[in-house]
Amino acid sequence: MEESSGPSLGIPPLAILSAVLPPRHPSLLRCVTLAALACVFLSSAAWADSLAKVRESHKLRYGSDAEGGGPYAYPNPANPRDVVGFEVDLMGLLCGALGPDPVFVQGQWDSLLPTLDTGRIDVVVNGYEWTSARAQRYLATRPYYIYELQVMAPSGGAVRTFDDLSRPRPDGRKWRVGVLGGSAAETFANAHGNGQIEVLYFNGATDAMMAVKNGQADATLQDLPAARFYKEHYPSLELAGPPVGRGLYVMYLRKGDEALRDALDRGITRLALNGDLRTLYERYGIWTDTQSELASEVEQASTKAADASSHGLGLIRSYGPTLIWAAGMTIVLSFAAMPIAIVVGLLVALGRLYGPPWMARILALYVEVLRGTPLMLQLYVLYFLLPELGVELPAMVAGIVGLAINYSAYEAEIYRAGLQAIPVGQMEAALALGMSRTMALRRVIVPQAMRIVIPPVTNDFIALFKDTSVCSVISIVELTKRYSILANSTGGVVEFAALTAVLYLLMSLPLSWFSRWFERRLAAEGPRGGLVG
Amino acid sequence: MNDRSGTEVTIAVRDLVKNHGNLEVLKGLSLEVHRGEVAAIIGPSGGGKSTFLRCLNGLERFSGGWVRIEGTTLRHDDPEARREATLCLVRRKVGMVFQGFHLFPHLTALQNVIEAPICVLREPRPQAEAKGLALLDRVGLSSKLHAKPGQLSGGQQQRVAIARTLAMEPSAILFDEPTSALDPRMTGEVLAVMADLASDGQTMIVVTHAMGFARQVANSVYVFGGGQIVESGPPEQIFEAPETEAARLFLAETLAA
Repeated sequence: MEESSGPSLGIPPLAILSAVLPPRHPSLLRCVTLAALACVFLSSAAWADSLAKVRESHKLRYGSDAEGGGPYAYPNPANPRDVVGFEVDLMGLLCGALGPDPVFVQGQWDSLLPTLDTGRIDVVVNGYEWTSARAQRYLATRPYYIYELQVMAPSGGAVRTFDDLSRPRPDGRKWRVGVLGGSAAETFANAHGNGQIEVLYFNGATDAMMAVKNGQADATLQDLPAARFYKEHYPSLELAGPPVGRGLYVMYLRKGDEALRDALDRGITRLALNGDLRTLYERYGIWTDTQSELASEVEQASTKAADASSHGLGLIRSYGPTLIWAAGMTIVLSFAAMPIAIVVGLLVALGRLYGPPWMARILALYVEVLRGTPLMLQLYVLYFLLPELGVELPAMVAGIVGLAINYSAYEAEIYRAGLQAIPVGQMEAALALGMSRTMALRRVIVPQAMRIVIPPVTNDFIALFKDTSVCSVISIVELTKRYSILANSTGGVVEFAALTAVLYLLMSLPLSWFSRWFERRLAAEGPRGGLVG
Repeated sequence: MNDRSGTEVTIAVRDLVKNHGNLEVLKGLSLEVHRGEVAAIIGPSGGGKSTFLRCLNGLERFSGGWVRIEGTTLRHDDPEARREATLCLVRRKVGMVFQGFHLFPHLTALQNVIEAPICVLREPRPQAEAKGLALLDRVGLSSKLHAKPGQLSGGQQQRVAIARTLAMEPSAILFDEPTSALDPRMTGEVLAVMADLASDGQTMIVVTHAMGFARQVANSVYVFGGGQIVESGPPEQIFEAPETEAARLFLAETLAA
């Protein structure tokens, strides 16, 4: 479940299957979607007696994200292979009464619910607030914590309370507020910003704090426990004003797992009543007076009725346009980055092959470093670390530059192969005609190499298209990020996966067709001649 | 044909040495080619013929001696910057035709011919094209102007390559086994074009295995062997009364084959 570069979304295979079918008429899409849903439903029915299974296997697998996850679940500072946190301890207490051993399963925060669908975990426990949309799709336990939202902003800055963010910014632009994508803070900031807030989406709570520290965001809206926990790591930030908004943390389970849910409910009630919960929360410094309501407010989550359509085409109709808009961002990122990558890559390849030895060595290092480290890390460096050195790049610029230099390393290798495939005689013939080396490269060698590299470069273009999704780590919301935000907040995992896959195909297929057409055109010019000797 | 005193020297080579590591490929060669002269270089494989030719336009570096082309001198110890400049000058004056043709496969026959005049000599395109048309006509390919090299036979490709070299109006042309990759019929086409050039007074050095051509068209013949010139002289002398044992042996083997 470790999220790495590339769009690994935890999309159920069925969703992908339904997505590759041509969306010729909507009824077909609907049938396929329903069929996929039915499969998901049936397969969850197969795990019906989760409580029995959990007891039999002595394992309760709970999904959580330890990345930037304090104080919920985070690597133990004393032994980083170990995970600690109030939710980890809570699961320990609950399982102690229930019997099984709690097993921590690491996953990307915003894809924990889709992971639940796959059956790889039994329950999601990671500061997930109760929402009616989620409660329609999943079983929710009774709340185990009442959270509030807290603004964090630079100490002594313009932002003192959340209300400041709903007033016009002095320079007329919008306030940039970083949030954990798909969290309650996102919903709250969008709903209560009075149109003055531009929400920046991050994959981790600490990424958003880092962005505020670097000046890339004006403030971040965090769940209070996280804000308190990480405050000391970001001494330049302060908790601005009183907490705003509130909600309930609940655990989510698959429908059909009522027995397990009821067992967890009983456990939470017991801990709330006997004071163990308070002891636990005080140990982590997250006890607030509000928490005493936990003992009474227990039924709310599971009894509230759900609103709005949360299935099938209704979902796509209401949220589809935002997904298509995000596809536009994917297109902008790739069409800005690839031309740069192609030009830089060509120059790097030429420098390696025809430049002086010192240049060739430096460029070889350039290629190895960029190829040998993950794109995600490079984006982190560009966006989060460069500001420490005084170079501040807007997210879009960092994203485009990051993609471009990363891919330039791959393009350089493709060009190197292409250039080396040109027979030596071509260069000699050009030189013998009185051309300089540079002119021979420009007029004779590179034009021929270009023809050779069209298929692999197109291939890389398509790969880059999908790699734009990695830009979500620096708060850019492109297609994949928007998918995971929507899937997470509405529960429309299958429907949006289908639509997302269709959108990606619609964008990449024309590229493939273009490449094939171009190859055919070159092939029609006849076999390559004059290469003897 | 021995009366060369009146004409000027186009290519002069003095004590040319070329080493490949410890191996001495060329062991101090000297020769002179006068304007309008056709010099044929023959000899067994591995005798250094092609290497020698490639030293003349700097495609191969040499380790001792010098080459002078129409007053421009290439020395083995030229500093790098000077070498680059000298090479460009030399290569404009001396054209080269390769065994493997080396036409630019992405360009048509006509584009191959006009590429260098436009890029290197900065000739206006219409003028370069007019000249290109005339040259392709001269080598018998006016019907193939817009064919890509891949659509031409070997003999046709080599004739385009000759036209491409001629377009630079070189003082001399180096032919490096121009017919060795061709079958006999195509060999004939190409040699006919070369004989035509010779009769027009084009200075040429031809490394070749085509003995008939060397005998009938060349003014002087050099027999290479073991990195040295083992014998040189007018074709009648070399082919009818070779003086050295090495030349006799080579000719006996070649003509018997």
